[in-house]
Amino acid sequence: MGKIEWAMWANEQALASGLILLTGGIVGVAGQFRGWEFAAYSVAAGVFVCLLEYPRSKRAKGTSVERTGQYCFTVCVKAFGPLTRNYYVRAFLHAAICVPGGFMLATVLGCVCLGIASLIYLAVSC
Amino acid sequence: MGLNIFLFVWFYFVYEHGEEFYYTRHLLGPALSWARAPAAVLNFNCMLILLPVCRNLLSLLRGSFVRCSRTMRKQLDKNLTFHKLVAYMIALMTAVHMVAHLLNVEWLNNSRQGVYDNLSTALSNLEEDTDDSDHRTTYLNPIRKNDIQIPTYFVFTSIAGLTGVIITLALILIITSSMEVIRRNYFEVFWYTHHLFIIFFAGLVIHGIGYIVRRQDEESYEEHDPLFCHNRTEDWGKIPECPIPQFEGGPAQTWRYVIGPMVIYLFERLLRFVRYMQNVQYRKIVMRPSKVLELQLVKKGFKMDVGQYVFLNCPSISQLEWHPFTMTSAPEEDFFSVHIRSAGDWTDRLIDIMEKMGVDGPFGTASEDVFDYEVSMLVGAGIGVTPFASILKSIWYKFKDNDPNLKTRKIYFYWLCRETHAFEWFADLLKAQEKEMEERGMGDFLTYKLFLTGWDQSHVNYVMVNMDRETDVVTGLKQKTHYGRPNWDKEFEQVRKENPTSVVGTFLCGPEALGKVLEKKCGKYSDVDPRKTKFYFNKENF
Repeated sequence: MGKIEWAMWANEQALASGLILLTGGIVGVAGQFRGWEFAAYSVAAGVFVCLLEYPRSKRAKGTSVERTGQYCFTVCVKAFGPLTRNYYVRAFLHAAICVPGGFMLATVLGCVCLGIASLIYLAVSC
Repeated sequence: MGLNIFLFVWFYFVYEHGEEFYYTRHLLGPALSWARAPAAVLNFNCMLILLPVCRNLLSLLRGSFVRCSRTMRKQLDKNLTFHKLVAYMIALMTAVHMVAHLLNVEWLNNSRQGVYDNLSTALSNLEEDTDDSDHRTTYLNPIRKNDIQIPTYFVFTSIAGLTGVIITLALILIITSSMEVIRRNYFEVFWYTHHLFIIFFAGLVIHGIGYIVRRQDEESYEEHDPLFCHNRTEDWGKIPECPIPQFEGGPAQTWRYVIGPMVIYLFERLLRFVRYMQNVQYRKIVMRPSKVLELQLVKKGFKMDVGQYVFLNCPSISQLEWHPFTMTSAPEEDFFSVHIRSAGDWTDRLIDIMEKMGVDGPFGTASEDVFDYEVSMLVGAGIGVTPFASILKSIWYKFKDNDPNLKTRKIYFYWLCRETHAFEWFADLLKAQEKEMEERGMGDFLTYKLFLTGWDQSHVNYVMVNMDRETDVVTGLKQKTHYGRPNWDKEFEQVRKENPTSVVGTFLCGPEALGKVLEKKCGKYSDVDPRKTKFYFNKENF
């Protein structure tokens, strides 16, 4: 179990959470729910998380398979240097992003999923 | 797929047009139907998803289908693909179901707060009649007047809402850890997270017990016609045509669908556990070149057929992990053997440690069909030759005993390998076979071609110097080693020429890409005319 690169799973989880946040946000805004401002925020947050997590990082051991068309995203993400490279930073970033999602029902699930991804990243970096 | 669509459409219309839901629909709009239809599909798919992974059950079914057509058994081989398809459907339906319910909760909440028209407010204001204890209460809107009126509060305090969120979360975790990257490279993450399905099913069964989706009950419907009364809300209870309408909640349905498969799966796991507890003894352990380990094991009451596989567990490496290996021994032998190649964490450690093992199996895959074809083409790439090792040994025994069940007249065996070392452990078997065949004058029965795909100049030089020797320089066998990849067109042509009227079964244990090539060739060289040669392709899959 020691050789498992948990960050790969955290990446999948975060990408899925981004999509869920996005969907929840769209439903909240389209349905004009009470608290739709949070939903609007979720749309933006969801898009941001997806862009950040789309490029799959290279594995420490073994062959890595890129996601289709990830080259452009990789360039953007790498431009931020240590901010995006460091998993510790990512863990906190995701934790911070997910909080506003918890204030509205439509985005609660996205919030929890992103929170879990954040925890996994935290576990990796400690 | 067709069933899924049918269920969706059927339940959609039940909720969209059913008269008893008239008022419910008024509060919720089309979202009611959009939530209930996927719920029905979900019930159906959750029932199906457990079945393809009951390995022992499938093996049993396979055995009983021996008399039936081959195509039936091929369906069972695709069990994992089926499991995945059902999983995708569950994920999709969960998404639709959830979005629809998000809308529902929001609209119910708004109705409660009197944001909408008179009818909605009147319906929401109907109070609970605490005299009736059989859920035949007056109210329609599940968000009660006394509740804190925020959608999130309602969801987290109702059983359906809470279980819904929990099981969706479990589902998401299961899906993200089942992605190909995680599954292939970090199997334990996939396997352990997948066990969240236990939470999923538990929550699923409880999900519906809250009687939340309400409809007008029959008695009330007879007294109070919604079509007549819906715009006379002030008169309800005052005029004889419109007494106050009564509503009841719908009972939980899911347990009816999933209880069967859950019980079957429970038996499956129990069976695996029982087999695990049974004693397995080592007969012989041999370390082969190229980091291949041969294990010969003996287990009481163990019966197998050619080409089957077993799952092995080594508690000192990992208590919970079971890994599949094809057996390389023949059923006629009094032990069973597996050849294990170093291919990751677990196999590496196994090759280092040899301790008490547990065995689960045997399970069948396509190789058992080999003897049903008059002519068989067996293609094994590298360690993929293992199921065929079992078959070749079995042939040897069947010939010795002149077994009348042996339909096969001719076998073509193609072994593709990168390096020479890997040949050696198999060389003994082939040498012995070669000798037997010659002694019995059955040289024609088995034709084998060995392809060395990773050759270099030094090989060539060595071979050129030793061209005149009768036996092959690499393997010591009479049939010479070929260098480079096989030319499949030539091979298929040869088989067709030598067997102009037969049904030929092609079996592969190796990479996907090769499978696609062979499948194409089978199609290309098969003749529409039933009297001429026909090729059928079978792929072994783990």
